Parts: sequence; C-alpha cells; structure tokens
Amino acid sequence: MNKTLRLIRTMLKMQYSLAGKSSGEKIGYVLLAIFLIPFSGIIISVLNAIVETLYDQLAPTGNENALLGLLFVGMTIVLLFVSLSSVLSSFYFAEDIEGFIPYPFHPYQLLAGKAAAPFINLYVTSGVLMVPILTLYGIHSGAGFTYYIFALLLFLVFPVIPFTMMAILLMFFMRFANIAKNKDRTKVFAGLLTFVFIIGFNVIIRLNQNPEQTAEGAAQLIEQQNGLLNVITGMIPTAYFSTMALQNAKGLNGLFFLMLMLAISAGAIFLFLTAGQKFYFKGVLGLTAGSTKKFDSGKVAKKIKSQPVFLALLLKELRIIFRTPTFFMQIVVQSLFGPVFLIVILVFESSSGSIGALGSMLEQFDGKAPLLLLFIFTLFILGVNPASYSSISRDGRSWPANLYLPVSAKTVIFSKVMTAWLINLLSIILLAVVGLTVVPMPPALFTAWIALTFLASWFTSLVGTALDLNDPKLNWTDEQEVFKSRFISLIALLIEMGTFGCIVLLLWNIDSLQSLWMTSLLLALLLGLAIVISHIVLQKLIRTKFLKTR
Amino acid sequence: MITIKNVTKEYAGKTAVKNLDLVVPDGKIFGFLGPNGAGKSTTIKMITGILPIDDGIITVNGYDIASQPIEAKKIFGYVPDSPDIFLRLKGIEYLNFIGDIFDIPKDTREEKIEDLTKSFGIYEALDDHIQTYSHGMRQKIVVSGVLLHDPDVWILDEPLSGLDPKSSYTLKEMMREHAAKGNTVFFSTHVLEVVEQLCDEVAIINKGKLQFRGNMKEMKEQFEADETLEKVFLELTSNE
Repeated sequence: MNKTLRLIRTMLKMQYSLAGKSSGEKIGYVLLAIFLIPFSGIIISVLNAIVETLYDQLAPTGNENALLGLLFVGMTIVLLFVSLSSVLSSFYFAEDIEGFIPYPFHPYQLLAGKAAAPFINLYVTSGVLMVPILTLYGIHSGAGFTYYIFALLLFLVFPVIPFTMMAILLMFFMRFANIAKNKDRTKVFAGLLTFVFIIGFNVIIRLNQNPEQTAEGAAQLIEQQNGLLNVITGMIPTAYFSTMALQNAKGLNGLFFLMLMLAISAGAIFLFLTAGQKFYFKGVLGLTAGSTKKFDSGKVAKKIKSQPVFLALLLKELRIIFRTPTFFMQIVVQSLFGPVFLIVILVFESSSGSIGALGSMLEQFDGKAPLLLLFIFTLFILGVNPASYSSISRDGRSWPANLYLPVSAKTVIFSKVMTAWLINLLSIILLAVVGLTVVPMPPALFTAWIALTFLASWFTSLVGTALDLNDPKLNWTDEQEVFKSRFISLIALLIEMGTFGCIVLLLWNIDSLQSLWMTSLLLALLLGLAIVISHIVLQKLIRTKFLKTR
Repeated sequence: MITIKNVTKEYAGKTAVKNLDLVVPDGKIFGFLGPNGAGKSTTIKMITGILPIDDGIITVNGYDIASQPIEAKKIFGYVPDSPDIFLRLKGIEYLNFIGDIFDIPKDTREEKIEDLTKSFGIYEALDDHIQTYSHGMRQKIVVSGVLLHDPDVWILDEPLSGLDPKSSYTLKEMMREHAAKGNTVFFSTHVLEVVEQLCDEVAIINKGKLQFRGNMKEMKEQFEADETLEKVFLELTSNE
C-alpha cells in the first residue's frame, strides 16, 4: 500500500509539478485564479437562478428531487465522456509508462498511479457543476447538516463508477487493439472511435425523444411523487441511489442509500483493479512501437521529392500532428468536436422542422444580427483550437533543430501559424457544409460569414502561436503535458473573445448600422487591424524569444 | 574553420564556459574532451546557435553565428548528442526534409540517400517511423542527414556513442576522408581510445576553462612520454 501511494505521488508530481517554472509564471497562475473569481460569481448566480426556478416549479408536486436526479444523470454522462478520453490518454497514449514497467510493481499498482491524474480531472469537472448545484439545492430546500455531509461524500465517490466502468471497457478493448501491427494508427483509431461513440450516444438519445410524447408523459408523471425522478434515473441506478440518499439525508433511509453508494463504489474499485491486474499489461506492453515494413531497393526514388522549405516545414508539422495519437486527439478531434456536435444537433432538429424555420428566420432578420452572432460563435470555435497554442511546445526535444538548421525564425514560426490555420480549415469546411445544406443560409450572409471566418482563423492562429512562443513548454516527457495544466488556452480565448466580444456588442448597439455589407466591411477592417497588431507582436516575439527558447 | 574568441556563458549565475579561446583549423580532426559537465555540450551548442552567447564571438568559416546565423548554419552539419528528434517522421521523410532545407537537387539526393543509408545498413528501415529505430539507428539517420548536404564543417556531439563497430568504423573513415579534403571535423567524446586513433588535435576543457590544446605529440611531451592518455586526462581534469 505504501509503495502504491508513493507511486501515485510520483506520477502526479510528474504531471502537475511546478518545478522548472519561473516565479513569474507562478505569479501568473495566482493572478489568473484571482481573475477567475468574478467569472465563477457569474456562473454561480446563473446556476442559482436555474435551481431556484426549477425547485419552485417542482416542489408543489413533490418532484423537486428530480432536480437532483437530473444533476446526477447529467454528471454520469459527462463523467463517462471525460473518463473515456482521459483514460485513453493516461493509460495508453502516455508513454511514460515504459519507464515504470521495469520496476517491480504489480499492474494494479501502476494502474492506480495512472488513474490519479484522470481522477483529478474528473473531480475538477464534477466540481464545477456538482458543488454549486448541490449547495444551492441544500440552501433552497433548507437542508440540515447531514445533507451537506452526505453531499460531500457523494461528491467524492460519484466519479468512481463512471470512471471504473469506462476504464474496464477500454482495458478490454485495448487488450485486443494491441495485437494490431501499426500501434500508432490503432491508438488514433481508438481515439476516433471514442469520438464516434460520443456522437452516436447523442444521436441515440435524440432519436428516443419524441417532443410531443415527452410533454404528455411529463405532465402525467408530475402528478405522482418521485415519478419524474424514477423516469430520469431509470437507466442509471447510481443516480437514483445518490438522489435518494440526499433526499432522505435526515433519516435512516438516506443512510442506507449512502452506504449502498459507498459499497458499490468500493466494489467498482475492486473490480477495476482486478480487471487491471489481468488486462492492463496485455494492452500496454509494446504499445509504443510503430509499424515496420521492408523498404525495397528502387523504392527510394519514388519517395524522394523536393519542395520549398516552407512547404517542407508545413508538411512536417501536419505529419507530426496526425501521427502522434495525443496530438491527433487533442488537436484534430477536439477542434472537430464542436462543429460535428453542432451538425448532429442541427440535423436532428431539422428533421423535426425547427431548422427550416431557422433558415427563414435568418432571412427575415436584417443582415447584421445573424452575421454578428455567427461571427462570435465561429470565433469561439476557432479560438479553442489547440493547434495554435501548442505550436512551439509540440516540438519538445526536437526544438533545437529549429535553431541549428539554416532556416529563418520567421519561416519556422509562420509555417506553424499556417498549420494552425489549415487545421482550423477542417472546422470551417464542416461549418460551411452546415451553412449550405442543413440551414439554408442566405447566399449574401454565407459569403460574408465565410470571408470573415478565414480572417478570424488567421487571427486566432497568430494569437495562439504568439502566446506559446512567449512561454512554451518544451521539456515534456509525455505529449499530454503540452496541453495539461497550462492556462494558455484560456488566455488565448480571453484575448480573442474579449476584444471581439466587445466589438460585436458595440456594433450590435449602433442603431444606424444595419446593413449586412457595412457590418461585414467593418468587421473585416477590425479583423485586419487585429491581424496587423498580432503580426507585429509575433514578429517582436520572434526577435526576442526565438533564440532564447529551449 | 571554427573560431571561438573569448566566449563566456553563464547559467543561472553559474559559469559554464569562461573566456574560452579556441581555433579549430581546416584539414584536421579535432577532438574536444572533458569530464561530464565540463562545458563541452554548452560550447558546441553555442557554436551551432542553439544557445545564445553571453560574451565573445564564434565564427564558422568566417560567418558570425550570432549576426549571420543562416549563412553559418548552411556551412556546418551538426549531430546532436541525443538523436531522439522527429520521431514521428519516417526515415525517408526526415532525409527529404533535410534535403529541402539545404536545397539539395533531387538526383543528388536520391544517389546520396541510397549510398549513405546502405553503408550504414539502415536502407531497409527508411520507410519506418524513426520512433521504431534503435538508438544506434537513430544516430545513423541523423548522421546520414548531416552527410546528405555535404557541409564543409562537421560538428559532432558524441557521434560514435551507440554505433555498432562496423558503422563506427565507417563514420571514422568518413571523418578522416573529410578532413583529408581540407575540411573541418570537430567532435566531442569521452572515449579516449577514439581520440588516440583519430584525432590530429585535441582540446581538453574542465569546469568551463580550456586546460590544454595541441596535437597528440605535444600532449605527450608536456607530460611524461610514457604516460597513457587516460592518465594525462585524469591529471588534467582532476585539479582543484
């Protein structure tokens, strides 16, 4: 047990250590935390309004516990998804496991160590929603002391079941995936499968919903106490148990359900470690090797082609992103996540007829409003693309090659900006397909929007790359570290959404500005200005930081 | 020719290299020796532009690495101490990449890639990701990349570590040929036998300061003639 704890601590230290970070950076984190306080205030007040309204609506029929049921069901689904990606990356994509395998650890001990970081992820995720909502519910229902104790315990054990379920499933799957010849490709495939799974899940849920029936059924259910809860939590028993434990926190009944939850969680952990002991090594050993095939004589001529330096650099970047499972998952899959999800929602909504209405609604509106909304929405999607803010950090230990090869710093950096722009293009194409087919967007609006999107993509690519150049993370031992515990994505988004959020708000409120073309022109000019400024900043960073980066 | 003039480098208040003066002449194989942490890699990284120079000047064939970096970098080829770079590229893609960076015409590229990789025995692995290569194979692909663009000046940080005897022999022969043509070969090593076999001149550095520079004969003269290189090395680097 002692050794397991020691192992967990070492693995966590490697993931989250602040070692090697300058004091300036540490101060930066503190400042950012202070900066986030007002944001969390806004979130809590919004949540409070939602909880209050729902509680007041549901309480008269004795269905207020459906609110808790909804929270636990929602959290289960969210936690399942978060577990999927974090288990895959921590257990299988992270290559630091090789360093631990030669030591005399049991698979279950390594697994416990590896589970620590994803678990922290889960607690952060569930903390954002569960802590405020459970607290607010407690306040509104006038709950006693035991409620809060129960809530705390449930918060602690709740992620265990989604996590262990997903982990056992993945271990089983990866045990077979490891037989594959090209391991890297298999890992990427597994990542894609995850993506498809999430989308598929959403589709199934949507297919099962029939708006009219749901409304009627709900009306009936509300008439009986706990009726709504039973339906909501029907598929997920742990959500039901958790709700019942909180609902009856004062009585023995509640204690029974709490104990049940604790027992199930303990059982799940036991099952997880047992399954890990059996399957984990079979799935992970030898997983880091790529494919090998023989190179026949004469083939070399076919593979050799010369191309301009910029293109060579660009292709190198793209190859590395698409071939490194972690990069592929974090950059390509993640940036497509938003648009694809949107398409799924829109396609299903359109089958119910509401999207056609959206199309005609867009036509009715005067030019500026839909354009501004579309613009800020697209900027958000492009802004969260990690290709830009991992530009420099991705290189890791290959970075010095940029310094000793005879290529100008500018060429290197702009090949990276271009890479981010091209990855963004994937999202843009998807969005454009939606704009043309699913939502019949007016041609003028579509043209203006797409033109602005190209500019916005260049802007976000510049901002992300500049931020990464300013403070890159090159000394990683595992690709995960490029994305983990860095606030760079948030800063990028704050800069991008901050400036253009204000601008859009301003344009929205100028009454004399109504035409689509004037608005587009103004936005294009402002984007142009933002691009020029970002260029100047990036050039300055190239002069001051490029050579010092290591 | 590499000229290092009065170069100083500090890391977080600690002097890694202090007032180093060194000329690496053409036509000779120049060995750079010193214990771990002596400042060898720091010096090599400053020559190649990886580390900025705090004080002093370094030129490669007359080009200042600080003020004319691109020109200087076109002249030398560098084998880093760790060959773990561009692991997700295939061997052939890495060599193509180097070919593009150094503007090597297609037919020259074809011929040289075939020659080099066959003589190092990695030809058949060219279509595999570098990730799947052993340490020695990675070293060989990086050395092939350097030789592909045929630079005047070779700068090699521990080039023989991890190579099998045959490849090690091949590389040593290549180094001799290159120096014999009047070019510069500058390399760092810990292996004293290699120095005795290969080097025309050596420099020994310890704690960031130059301890000795000269040919093997001078070195033996300075000490008692019957002493082994190992003893000389230990004596030079054990002071303080």
